[in-house]
Amino acid sequence: MNGLSWASGHLDWGIFALIVFTGLWWLLSDLVWRLKSVRIGRLAVTMSIGWVAGIGLILLGFYLGNR
Amino acid sequence: MFILQIFVLCLVAAAIALWGLNFPYPSPLIRRWLPPRKRWPEAQIRAWLKDGKFQRTFLSHFYSDPERVPPPGTSVLAAADGLVTSADMRGRIRYLVIALSFWDMHVQRSPVAGKVVSVASHGDDFMDGEGREFAFLREKACPVQKRLVIQSDLGQVAVRLITSVAARRIEVWVQEGDRIERGQRIGRILLGSTVVVELPVTVNLLVQAGERVWAGQTAVAEGLTSL
Repeated sequence: MNGLSWASGHLDWGIFALIVFTGLWWLLSDLVWRLKSVRIGRLAVTMSIGWVAGIGLILLGFYLGNR
Repeated sequence: MFILQIFVLCLVAAAIALWGLNFPYPSPLIRRWLPPRKRWPEAQIRAWLKDGKFQRTFLSHFYSDPERVPPPGTSVLAAADGLVTSADMRGRIRYLVIALSFWDMHVQRSPVAGKVVSVASHGDDFMDGEGREFAFLREKACPVQKRLVIQSDLGQVAVRLITSVAARRIEVWVQEGDRIERGQRIGRILLGSTVVVELPVTVNLLVQAGERVWAGQTAVAEGLTSL
């Protein structure tokens, strides 16, 4: 059975990568927040942009890989 | 493949769960990369003080007693790690006040080489922020403190170890009559407080308020003659 999030008996690698990246990015944001003395709003915007860029790269990578 | 994915997802989920359980304090997974002040925030330490339970890693940091190499010469050394909060004069004495924080090393060291002339207990009260406005000299409601007088070849120096509400205990490791080296360990205040070095007004101070100093390592004054 294949679907958007399932492929050949396991999670689709793209979805898997998105979940793992999001979790690790969240933890990285916490580490940066503790190490840097920056305002929370500014940090949230920066890390959100980083997250969107990371997700974009993952999706692009899988799109190019599966073309 | 699916098993591998589940395993990785469980690891990530466990890391996020650790983060959530410890929030707003740092997760144990990232503590090692944080400086002490951020690794154990003040609010967390104050909470530990209330219930008497401390994180083991904090205690091992707190009880650390690193070796120190005194600089050559006869300059007067800092007696404690911490921040110089004042160096004001009263009468013929200059009081160099060093405030220790929870994250500072708490072993005090002798500023000079010489003979311990006296070790006396003073004070009858626990205070916060004591020593920063000469509270350590007051007759009444004086913070609990130990005052060591050290007679060196170049003159006399006194060191006051002062407790606070959080600290409440002072250990002194030298006795009257002992000969001590410059930079030698002389005692320990348990948890953050204040150390005051009493110097003759004639000394040339090498530090000023706002500077950080390290016990047995930072030269704080030179030109010691007599108290």
